Amino acid sequence: MRHDRQLTAAELDSFGAELDALRQRTLDDLGEPDARYIRRIRAAVRLCCWSGRALLLLGWFPPTWLLGVALLGLGKILENMELGHNVMHGQYDWMNDPELRGTRYEWDIAGPADFWRHTHNHIHHSYTNVLGKDDDVGYGLVRLFPEQRWKPFYRWQPLWVTLQALLFQYSVAVQHLRLDQYVKGRMSRAELRPLLRQFNAKLLRQSVKDYLAFPLLALLLGTSAAAVLVGNLLANLIRNLWTFTVIFCGHFTERAAVFPPSVLEGESRGHWYLRQLRGSSNLTGGPLLHILTGNLSHQIEHHLFPDLPARRYAELAVEVREIAARYGQVYNSGRLSRQFGTVLRRIWKYRLA
Amino acid sequence: MYLVPLSLARRLGPALKPLRALVAGGWLQEADTDCLLRLVHPALRLKRVFARVESRVWVADDMLALGLRTNGNAHGWRPGQHVRLYRELDGVRHGRSYSLTKAEPDGRIELAVRRQPGGRFSNGLLERLEVGSLVELDPAQGELTWPHEAGSVLLLAAGSGITPLLGLLRHALAQGFAAPVTLLHYVRQRRQRAFGEELQGLMARYPNFQVRWAISGEAPAAGELAGRFQAAHLAGRPVHSLLACGPHGFVASVDDWWRAEPRAGGLQVEAFTPPAPSVGGGEQVRLRFARSHRELPGNSAVNLLEQAEAHGLRPPHGCRQGICTACTCQLLAGGVRDLRTGGLTHGPGLPIRLCVSAPLGDVELDL
Repeated sequence: MRHDRQLTAAELDSFGAELDALRQRTLDDLGEPDARYIRRIRAAVRLCCWSGRALLLLGWFPPTWLLGVALLGLGKILENMELGHNVMHGQYDWMNDPELRGTRYEWDIAGPADFWRHTHNHIHHSYTNVLGKDDDVGYGLVRLFPEQRWKPFYRWQPLWVTLQALLFQYSVAVQHLRLDQYVKGRMSRAELRPLLRQFNAKLLRQSVKDYLAFPLLALLLGTSAAAVLVGNLLANLIRNLWTFTVIFCGHFTERAAVFPPSVLEGESRGHWYLRQLRGSSNLTGGPLLHILTGNLSHQIEHHLFPDLPARRYAELAVEVREIAARYGQVYNSGRLSRQFGTVLRRIWKYRLA
Repeated sequence: MYLVPLSLARRLGPALKPLRALVAGGWLQEADTDCLLRLVHPALRLKRVFARVESRVWVADDMLALGLRTNGNAHGWRPGQHVRLYRELDGVRHGRSYSLTKAEPDGRIELAVRRQPGGRFSNGLLERLEVGSLVELDPAQGELTWPHEAGSVLLLAAGSGITPLLGLLRHALAQGFAAPVTLLHYVRQRRQRAFGEELQGLMARYPNFQVRWAISGEAPAAGELAGRFQAAHLAGRPVHSLLACGPHGFVASVDDWWRAEPRAGGLQVEAFTPPAPSVGGGEQVRLRFARSHRELPGNSAVNLLEQAEAHGLRPPHGCRQGICTACTCQLLAGGVRDLRTGGLTHGPGLPIRLCVSAPLGDVELDL
C-alpha cells in the first residue's frame, strides 16, 4: 500500500515548478553526446538484426542458429524499446534529423506506428492509470485493481494474460482498432474500415518479411527455410515476453496507484506530475537492464518527462527521488523479480471479485 | 577510400529504382537502406541529396563560392533557385538557404556563401568546410526565371542578392540571350563586389551586357553609383523586365518604384530575409501544446516556433522563414495569422508552419 502525503494546492504548484525546472535544465544541456548515443543504439540495432538474420541463413547448426536467434531477438528488443519507443515520443526531435523524427518513425513490430502514437503517446500518457480512460490498465483483458468492476470473464485472466504475453506485439497493434466499441455498435463499419486497412497492410509487411521473404532466401541459398522461420518466430517471441514484462512492471506493481476519472477535472500541472509519479513504478538494476528496457526501468522519470532523451532518466532519477521524498511521496522502485512478482500476484488476486 | 568514386555512384541512380519502390511500399526502411548505400559511397542515398565539396574560391573579401557535386538525386535544379544546406552543430542539424549560382546537368553546382557578422552557420562553412567534405541539401526551390522574351533586362542586386541573379545571368548569356542586360549591384564597401572580375569579363565578352556598382559605405570612384537604391540610378536605362534580389527593405523599395507608374514588362523579386515582425507587443493569449500537456501564456505578435522553443519544446524546424515545411504542425483549435501574408487559418486539423504563424487568440497545437 502507498502512504503518500496529501499536498495542498500551493505545495502542488511548487512541486510542479521544481519538476519543470529540472526538465528545463536537462533540455538546455542536450547536445552532441545525446545525438551520438541514439545513433550508436541504432547502429547496435542494425548490427544485431543483420548479423542475427545472416546467422539464421546458415541453417540448423546449433551454435550459429542459437546465436542468430539471440542476436535477432536482442536487436528487436533494442529497436522496440530504446530506439522506436523513445524516438516516437519525440525525444530526439531536437536533433532535427529526418531519420529520428518522432512523427515519422516506423518501427519493426506488427502495429502501425501511427496507431501507437495515438494509443500510447496521447491516450496512455495523458490519462495514465485513470480507470475508464487509460486502456493500458489491463488492456480490457485483465483486472489488476480492486477499483475495476469485476466480470466473470476475469476468472480466467491468468490464461488471458499468458496469451497476451506471448502475442504482445499483436495485442498492442489491435488496441487502436477499439474492436470492443465496434462489437457494441458504438463504432460504424465505415469508421473501422480505414483503420483496418492500415492495420492489415502493416501486419502483412511484417509477416512477409519474417515468415516468407527470409525463409525463401534460405531456400534460394540452399539452406533450411524452416530454421529461418522458427528462428524468426522465436526472436519475436523473446521480444514479446520481454516487452510484456517491462510494460506490466511499469504501472501494475503492488504500490502503483489508479485514479477515478474525476481526478482529471481542472487538473493542475503539479497534480498531473503527481499522478504520473504515483501511477508509475521503477526497476532497479545495472546499465544493461536500463538499455534493454529502453530506460523504461525509469518509468517514473519517463512519465514525468516523456519527451526527454531516455538516457537522461538515470541522472534525473536522483533528483526526482529526492523531490518525491521532500513532498512525502512514495517512490515506487524495486528489483525486476520483486516488481514482476507483485504484478503476477495482482493478476492472480483480482481474478476474483 | 570509397568502394566507388562519386561519378560512378551518380550512375547508380536508375539501378536504385527497385529499392525506392520497396521503400515507398513500406517493405524496406529508407534509413536502413541508406545506411547500406553509404558503404558503397558516403554520398549515396535513395532519395536524400548529398553533395561533396569540390572547390572553394573567394569571390569577394566576404564571399566564398563553393563548388559541389551532388549524388544524382538533385533533379531539375536551375540556376537562380535556392537550396538549403545542412550541417550538424552540437548534435543539432541546422540548415540555411543559399542561391545556386550554377547548376550543371552533370550534377556540379555552385553556391556562394557570405560572411555574416556573428553568424555561426555561414562563418562555420567559410572557415571549416573543406574540399572533400559531405553536406546534405534539400531539393532546390524558387521561382525566379530569366525573361527570355524581354526587350531588355535590368537586374538589381543588393549584397548577397547578387547570387541568384548571377546564376540566371551566366546561364542566359551562355544560351545566347542578345537583348540589352544591365546589372546594378549595391554593396557597402568596394571590396564586397562579389564575382567582380568575372562580371567584368562577361561585359568584355558580351556587348549587350553592362554591369555597374553602387557603393553606399565609401566615397564612390569614377563610374560608380553612390548610395542605396534610388530612382535616379535608373534614369535613361531601358527597363522592360526587372529582376531584383536583396534584403526585404531593398526589395520593397524596388517594388514601390516599379509600381509607381504603369509598365509593360514583368517584375520578379526575391527577398532573402523575412519581413520584420509586426511592431507592438501583441496581445496575451493561451497556448496549449497537446502532446506535451502544457498550457502556457503566449503572445499574438510572435511566431509559434519561437514561443514553443521559449517554453522548452523542440519542434522540428528548417529554414525558419516559411519555406521548407519542416516545422509544419497540426492546429487543433483556434486560429493563426501568417506573418508573411497576413492570411488567416482556423483549425482544427489544418497544417500550419510554426515559424511564420502567430496565434490570433488562444490556440491548441499538436506538439
